[in-house]
Amino acid sequence: MTAALALEQATRTFRNGSGIFDVDLELTSGQIVALVGLNGAGKSTLMRVLLGMLRPQSGRALLNGDDLDSAPMSAWARVGHLVEYPLAYGELTARRNLELSARLRGVADVTAAIDRVITEFALEQYADRRARALSLGNRQRVGVAAALQHDPSTIVLDEPTNALDPAGVIRLRESLLRRAADGAAILVSSHHLDEVARIADRIVVMNAGRLIGDLAPDTPEIEHAFFEVVRADDERVSS
Amino acid sequence: MRAAIWAEAVKLAGSTVGRVGSAAIVIGISVISASMLLAAATTTDPQLLAKLGPVAAGDWRGFLLGAVQITGAGGLGGFAVILAWMFGREFGDGTIAGLFALPMRRTTIALAKLIVYLAWATAMSLLLAIVLALVGTLAGLGPIGTGTLEALARQAALGVMSVAITLPVAWAATLARSVLGGVSVAIALVVVAQVSVLAGLGGWMPLAAPALWAISLGTTVSPLQLSLLIPFGAIFVVLITQSWRRMQLDR
Repeated sequence: MTAALALEQATRTFRNGSGIFDVDLELTSGQIVALVGLNGAGKSTLMRVLLGMLRPQSGRALLNGDDLDSAPMSAWARVGHLVEYPLAYGELTARRNLELSARLRGVADVTAAIDRVITEFALEQYADRRARALSLGNRQRVGVAAALQHDPSTIVLDEPTNALDPAGVIRLRESLLRRAADGAAILVSSHHLDEVARIADRIVVMNAGRLIGDLAPDTPEIEHAFFEVVRADDERVSS
Repeated sequence: MRAAIWAEAVKLAGSTVGRVGSAAIVIGISVISASMLLAAATTTDPQLLAKLGPVAAGDWRGFLLGAVQITGAGGLGGFAVILAWMFGREFGDGTIAGLFALPMRRTTIALAKLIVYLAWATAMSLLLAIVLALVGTLAGLGPIGTGTLEALARQAALGVMSVAITLPVAWAATLARSVLGGVSVAIALVVVAQVSVLAGLGGWMPLAAPALWAISLGTTVSPLQLSLLIPFGAIFVVLITQSWRRMQLDR
């Protein structure tokens, strides 16, 4: 099966020496991959390369098997993403922001898509408020809703639970599980290991720009196991 | 393209920057022009009359010459601030990441911004000419003859031509990843235009040609000199779209 999105030995570094190095990663249909790592491990950089926001200096980033540069534009219509900041313009209402995202993605029935996602993420009472008047958490909800409303078959979310209240976290969890069951390929980064362990089929650990191993989602004391993997990697690099 | 144009239009129409900018250009220039007319009609101070320049004549010609002088610098600055915001805010607000990985080229998004800017600037220029005609009529400058109509048309054309000379602002805001980067270049454009006139470049400097053309009643700037605005604008449209096409979120 061709991966929805993939990195093949992708390297992208910055002037300060940070970045990602020789990263191989595949997102496949029906699977939720969780990307975990400490701050500065390279999670956001990996997602940016995966989504074409950064070009790899070596290696490849692929969408449905095509290099991102040569992939048909229409293929992006089935991708939903939220990286760092939600696509929510402060001067527009939550509903208008959702409409904007839907139209840019070529959604056929915009109104139906918006109504569905507003219900899914319980945004009814905020729908007609300007985004700048929303709390950080509700703005994040709008961003997550904008990334998911067009029922993408490939989903990339960077720290989506940031600022979400427990109710928002549960709604997102259920939404992702349902979408994966419907065949979506999903990549989620998070600091909350317990949270990702509840939904992920695979947990990938990133440290200093490299993917250093997997954690089984049912690993007991998963945080402890995570730190052990990171510590062992740091020792290996320094020795 | 239609979706991108709609998105840009909605953002501009819904923003405080867009509303304040529109009001500042149409109402601001009209109020300043009317104030100068009022000052000319009510003062006998020769020094003040000298400062009012052509407006001191108290007729349509002088009134509209004053308006194009204000538009030449103030209008240019106003337009440029809006353009800087349209491009630079995507970086400042972090929304630029959401404009990647869409079934739409980023060049299309950049072009949509430019099209909406052109439409907005044209609308503001026409509206300003209409408001100036109303102000002059209410001020008792008399019926609008052929000469006045031509002057009003030059006033509107000056605004539309300002679109071409403000385009470096969009490129600067893109390269600097900020509204301020664009605004800085807007200030520089106004300064360079003024200095180039003092240096004697006149109509051969695209940044100054539209204002010189309007202020001289179309006499001192040739059609060839004005036509240089087309390659000037085209070069910056290409630079802007290429910058958006090749853009990476590496800062």
